[in-house]
Amino acid sequence: MNLGVIRAIVRKDLVALTRDQFYLFITIIGLLAFVAMYWFLPSSVDETVRLGVYHSDLDTALGPLTAIETDALAIERYDSPDALAVAVGEGEAGIVAGMVFPDDFVAQAGSGTATVDLLVPAGLPPEYAELMNGLAAQVGYFVSGTTPPVDVTTRTVVLGTDRVGDQVSMQEQMLPLLAFFVLMMETFALASLVSVEVQLRTVTAVLVTPARARDFITAKGVIGTLLALAEVLLLLALIRGFVGDVPVLLVALLLGSVLVTGIGLLAGASGKDFMGVLFLSMTLMIPLMIPAFGALFPGTAATWIRALPTYGLVEAIVGVTTRGESWSDLSGVLLLLAAWGLAIFALGSAVLRRRVATI
Amino acid sequence: MAATVPAIDVSDISYSYGDTLAVDSVSFEVAAGEIFGLLGPNGAGKSTTVKMLTGQLRPSQGSIHILGMDSSVENTEIQARIGVCFEEKNLYSAMTGVENLKFFASLFGIKPLDPMPLLERVDLAARGGDKVSDYSKGMRQRLMMARALVNQPDVLFLDEPTDGLDPVSARTIQGIIREEAAGGTAVLLTTHDMYEADTLADRVAFINQGQILAMDAPESLKLQHGQRSVRIKARRADGQVEELAIPLDGVDAAAKVQRAMAELDLVTIHTEEATLEDVFVAYAGRGLDA
Repeated sequence: MNLGVIRAIVRKDLVALTRDQFYLFITIIGLLAFVAMYWFLPSSVDETVRLGVYHSDLDTALGPLTAIETDALAIERYDSPDALAVAVGEGEAGIVAGMVFPDDFVAQAGSGTATVDLLVPAGLPPEYAELMNGLAAQVGYFVSGTTPPVDVTTRTVVLGTDRVGDQVSMQEQMLPLLAFFVLMMETFALASLVSVEVQLRTVTAVLVTPARARDFITAKGVIGTLLALAEVLLLLALIRGFVGDVPVLLVALLLGSVLVTGIGLLAGASGKDFMGVLFLSMTLMIPLMIPAFGALFPGTAATWIRALPTYGLVEAIVGVTTRGESWSDLSGVLLLLAAWGLAIFALGSAVLRRRVATI
Repeated sequence: MAATVPAIDVSDISYSYGDTLAVDSVSFEVAAGEIFGLLGPNGAGKSTTVKMLTGQLRPSQGSIHILGMDSSVENTEIQARIGVCFEEKNLYSAMTGVENLKFFASLFGIKPLDPMPLLERVDLAARGGDKVSDYSKGMRQRLMMARALVNQPDVLFLDEPTDGLDPVSARTIQGIIREEAAGGTAVLLTTHDMYEADTLADRVAFINQGQILAMDAPESLKLQHGQRSVRIKARRADGQVEELAIPLDGVDAAAKVQRAMAELDLVTIHTEEATLEDVFVAYAGRGLDA
């Protein structure tokens, strides 16, 4: 390995990239768009359930409701059944359901039975509607001043991390996806850089000097990994994403950068022109985006998703930034990511070496 | 002892692309300071031979020694002492001429390189700071030539170095080739331009279908295989101009020429010798552009 040659090729590639207006445009616009998208998303989760209620004599009949209002349950009073229906139907002000009390509700309750109209939006899951029924009954008890015969008190035991008051926000859910998008952008850039060298045969001119194919490939690996890592770190800096165990996060991003660099080498060596490189890069990257999309939907990932090379990257980012995990929790996925990263880098290098040898 | 080692020593090399034999048992030597032309039509095996000599391909049989070093063992050492000018203009077009030269110099470990003397040699001193994408074809070719010289090579491989160039650029490059050879650099030139080979090369080899058909100095080949003649244009009594050729290799050639000059109303008279193209056709049964 000739370090002087590798350094010269890396420096030359940096010059080439800084003069590539298309690359600069895509990179800057992409980064700005991702940062803007991140800050546009809500940074916290509203855990309060908002229930709308109507009664013709609100203050008198529904006065007792104030007693059951907590941080978790808010009661919003409406002036008419129609206004309440519109609010529920359109999810206005976060109203999840509405209760329309009849004018003679208190009298009905005194007789032992009372009917309340429960308004729920179309498409509300049945179990959620059932929950609303129970809630409505509780509200009914308070309004009528009649308590159930037995007052059961529950104690909540949370198995796993208790996220009450600290729900995973949309920003946190999007972080792995945004990081992945940035890495993917860099894959295109590297693939394009490699492809141009092969198509214009500048690599042939390089390889009749003391530079060896391994020097050339190493230089491409270095530039690809450095650029991918630099851009994803810049993104994290701009969105204040350095939270939790930062060294674990850095290692995960470094391994992720190696992985996408391998894909860039593979696509760049295999594509016959710019469109071919773009098509190949997309074909390779789309399945690899699935774990990042999966992070948007909490729950255990399916086995086949766990088998994808980028699962370890996404799991490590989510683990550090959302669950506050560290080395001991994430060593398994980091090892998996390292194995995938090295395997794909080796494959990309082998394909590029073969391509260079057959020009 | 070292002076007797050929700069290029090729012995019985072959190479196949799949089932197609591109180079078939080719052997030749090139001495230091010699300009050697490898001539043949497209697809004859010239480029494949050069690729093997410059270490881009490994011959399936035979051996190559450059400056006394075995290419199968000391390829890196060889490549440090050769310069290659490709047929395709494989320069970094987003970089300037100066940056291209400095980059390739750094691959040879030459730092810092003053590119101006090289740029002056190829008449690009005034445009060295411009991006290569703004260069004309001739300027790119001249920069390719300068690039091949950044490491002051002992052996130069030039693949169609003047193909399609304007006369000024072609003359510049031909001048540099002569200067390099005069300085002791061995030059292997592949071309299908017989005139260029005739005027530049000390020796030429005809290659066709992967095999060397003939190898000698251009003059010798023409003498051995061509026909010298005197071509005369003369006006007849009826005013028409007729043309006749008198072979010079016949026993009574001088007498025939004397008689023609005395008896005919001469319009023009020229001596004519065979061209390398004629010799190539005699060997290969086809022209170079076929």
